[in-house]
Amino acid sequence: MANVETALKEATTSIEGAIGAALVDYGSGMALGTIGGGKDLDLAVAAAGNTDVVRAKVRTMEMLGLQDDIEDILITLGGQYHLIRLLKGRGATGFFLYLALDRGRANLAMARHQLKKIENELEI
Amino acid sequence: MTAPAPTPAPTPAPVPLPAPMTAVSPLLTRLAAERATGALLRDRGTLFLEDGRIVHAESPATPGLDVLLTTGGGLAPERWREALDRAGARRQVARFLVDSGGLAGGELEICHLAAIFDAAFFALSPGSGPSRFRRGATHWIGSVRSVPAAAVERETRRRRELLDAVWPYPLLDTAPVVPRPAAPGQTVTPRQRLLLHHADGVRTPADLAWVLGRPAFHTLLDVRRLAAAGLVDTPHAAAPAPAAEPLPDWMTQAQSPDVALLRRLRDALEASL
Repeated sequence: MANVETALKEATTSIEGAIGAALVDYGSGMALGTIGGGKDLDLAVAAAGNTDVVRAKVRTMEMLGLQDDIEDILITLGGQYHLIRLLKGRGATGFFLYLALDRGRANLAMARHQLKKIENELEI
Repeated sequence: MTAPAPTPAPTPAPVPLPAPMTAVSPLLTRLAAERATGALLRDRGTLFLEDGRIVHAESPATPGLDVLLTTGGGLAPERWREALDRAGARRQVARFLVDSGGLAGGELEICHLAAIFDAAFFALSPGSGPSRFRRGATHWIGSVRSVPAAAVERETRRRRELLDAVWPYPLLDTAPVVPRPAAPGQTVTPRQRLLLHHADGVRTPADLAWVLGRPAFHTLLDVRRLAAAGLVDTPHAAAPAPAAEPLPDWMTQAQSPDVALLRRLRDALEASL
């Protein structure tokens, strides 16, 4: 059984180029757990802001009439990747994992794969 | 125009502390600093502390962990009752739920954190009355995860500001939720649709939180967003009765009639008849 802290720790240690990670409650915009980040990346602020990103995409899909779920969202910056992975547990209708990666060191395909694995281990 | 007389440099007026610096609850700050263990009781909720960290919280204004796990999650109500019966007296309900295989540890932890921050938001609200501290009191849920009191205070403040940033009408938080028809082409998310479906014009946001098994703050936030989008009526406080502006004396104070003028008028009328 992995709890939030160990799951996030695994995300930042096993994923190459990880800068920080957070588990975010979509309903309130609050980070339930964070790791890394530091002064360059305030993960509490990132959590609240990215909640708006997810909500905008959910609304857009509704407007388009797309009957589908979001698996993840990738945002590519000049120097970083930001990955948002929506959790699909039986009770988890409103959480996402947020991962910031150093673009120079990260392997995007690998990072997505590992984030999916961490979601499965989180058992929600 | 005369030059002003030279005055000594004005002493700066005392600058009020910016809002984020004021403590949400000075007592909580103090209890955290002295690493106290016990229950902080207020009118709108109770915070349980262990070594100065918050280990649990509950509020009559919010659905408890049981509702979040059963109605909102996948836990069978019988499993919850069984855990209460078998481990309540030992104060290890949380551990029993996970060890007995009824619940994944991650799900319990996440719902428990959601319940803490949700109850704390109401317990620490400004109208929550005076605080009392019962030293040594513990909660039967047992230990799941603890959060620093400062984190709870910071999040409580952020939530207050978020509600008002979305749509600054606090009356929405307690009034019945009355849906309004969507504008042509206006869509709602599945989450919002479910909330609107249960909004029957009688249920308040707190009632809806119970029905949906969602934290109460999340429901307040959803309702404010829906109101901002025009999908829920925004109640307005009854307009204050217009203050009676005193009329000037010359209008209100009756003047004695000009008797002489009235007499002459009467005489003239009689003469012309």
